Amino acid sequence: MIHDKATFRAHLLLLSAAVLFAAPLVWMLVSAVKPAGQLTQDPYSFWPREWRWQNFADAAAAMPFFRYMRNSLLLAGGTVVGSLFSCTLAAYGFARLRWPGRDLVFGLLIATMLLPWHVTMIPRFLLIKELGLYNSLAALIAPTFLGDAFSIFLLRQFFRTIPEELSEAARLDGLTEWGVCWRIVAPLSKPALLTVGLFQFIAAWNDFSGPMLYLSDPKKFPLAYGLEQFVSSYSDQTHLLLAAAVMFTLPILVLFFIAQKSFMKGVSTTGLKA
Amino acid sequence: MNTGASSTRRRHSGRIVTALLFIAPWALGFLLLVLYPFAASLYWSFCEYDLLSPPRFVGGANYRRLAHELLNGEGFGRAVWNTAYYAVASVVLSVLAGVGLAVMLSWKVRGQAIYRAIFFLPSVVPTVAAAVLWMWLLDPGGGLVNHWLTAVGLPAPNWFKGVQEALWPPDWWSGRAAFGSKDALVLMSVWGVGNFMIIYLAALGDIPKSLYEAAALDGAGNLRRFWHITLPNLSPVIFFNIVMGVIQAVQAFTQVYLVSEGRGAPAESTLMLSLHIFLAAFQNLEMGYASAIAWMLFVVLLAATAALFHSSRYWVHYQGGSP
Repeated sequence: MIHDKATFRAHLLLLSAAVLFAAPLVWMLVSAVKPAGQLTQDPYSFWPREWRWQNFADAAAAMPFFRYMRNSLLLAGGTVVGSLFSCTLAAYGFARLRWPGRDLVFGLLIATMLLPWHVTMIPRFLLIKELGLYNSLAALIAPTFLGDAFSIFLLRQFFRTIPEELSEAARLDGLTEWGVCWRIVAPLSKPALLTVGLFQFIAAWNDFSGPMLYLSDPKKFPLAYGLEQFVSSYSDQTHLLLAAAVMFTLPILVLFFIAQKSFMKGVSTTGLKA
Repeated sequence: MNTGASSTRRRHSGRIVTALLFIAPWALGFLLLVLYPFAASLYWSFCEYDLLSPPRFVGGANYRRLAHELLNGEGFGRAVWNTAYYAVASVVLSVLAGVGLAVMLSWKVRGQAIYRAIFFLPSVVPTVAAAVLWMWLLDPGGGLVNHWLTAVGLPAPNWFKGVQEALWPPDWWSGRAAFGSKDALVLMSVWGVGNFMIIYLAALGDIPKSLYEAAALDGAGNLRRFWHITLPNLSPVIFFNIVMGVIQAVQAFTQVYLVSEGRGAPAESTLMLSLHIFLAAFQNLEMGYASAIAWMLFVVLLAATAALFHSSRYWVHYQGGSP
């Protein structure tokens, strides 16, 4: 009896917390398909009077949605390729090769994580401009080919768990270090690479300050930044705003449900915010 | 003999070259995107620099201006207060909410996977979408939150449109405490506590079951077990999350920019350090002044981290004694 009462209390607490956390998202999803009139006249009724899927088409037509989407995919895709390439190499250098000063240099890499982005923001901006990359997606993608401290750290931790005998055997078979890295260690580290790729994709998809700083031509805006422009000019058309926000969020939610496990594993090993 | 030694040396230097090639992309990024900007912004913080003419050395003028603004509570002073308020409130609440939710998820009841997904989900919602969502929900006039608050007889705060600061100084018992813009930002951050919660949950799973069994045999109740077993064993992770939380909160930019019309509105109540640096640099073209703020932010963050590490020896409990 006491046990049942405790279970009931546990469910009650979990359920009320779940309602509080889910309500904002549910309310957004439901309201995105309400007719415009319902949101202004009767904003607190939960069920849509009519399920207006047209809102999504209207919102997409009110801005260059598919161009923004294409830019976002280019940016996120380029970021994933760039960071997987550079971070795998660096992590391999720190985890699987022995060289003098390695641990010192690795300590330096860890220290860079403590540096706030504000400190490097201005010189970085001027440097990118100097290199002629201003107002192109390359300004945001090129730096990812030069590594990211968090991702290198995460991959290095994983690479260290792979038995050294495998590398030795591969070397005896005539593989170069490059070959050992990409044909032995990388394939054995798929979970870690997946986690890094996932985090990088989401970070690039969500990034707002980067595009704001480096892009000036609306044709080049990714969704995160384009959406903000849309918000400021359509602030009175709530149904379109919500529909646009839902279309922007949905790919991330889908990714989350597909890869829930590597998501949570990645977060709990690095404490990294996606 | 001789050939053996030189081949070893050749192998040795070959190994170094190989290693250098592997870390070359990162090393180039470090020199170009970290070390050079680091040094340049330190130098510029002692300069007057508007991008149009080359930097002009002005000594400590920018830092004197910061000290002046700090004492008068304008500009930089406002930004320091706003940032500290937001960082402390959001970190304290994220520890409470994160530990609370994780403990609830560790209870052996059905449907935990679903609850876990629900609590975690808001933390992956893109900041831009979350800002749109919360500005709509917290609209003082017609927002859903105020609708429900008034329905149960509570006052309707101004949220993002108000300059009130409900959390500090504490005035909760007067009944007049009203939530303002920073409190709304704190609420948004607590909604996204999921990533911290997952770290606590993983740590809870690592606490040996035998500790709880022994305590149960000694007749300790739920509260005492939480206080004497769960909390001490969780303290290293709480410490880690506080450090990470402070670092993240102090650097928060996107949500601050979006809810404040890009200028800290209303009345500079959301003018945080990150936004202040951005506006000084790219709106007022005061690169020297902006660099000085960035450096102060860095130094304060280092000091806060050091203080946290120092304090940790009094409250963080490591399994098997201190490390």
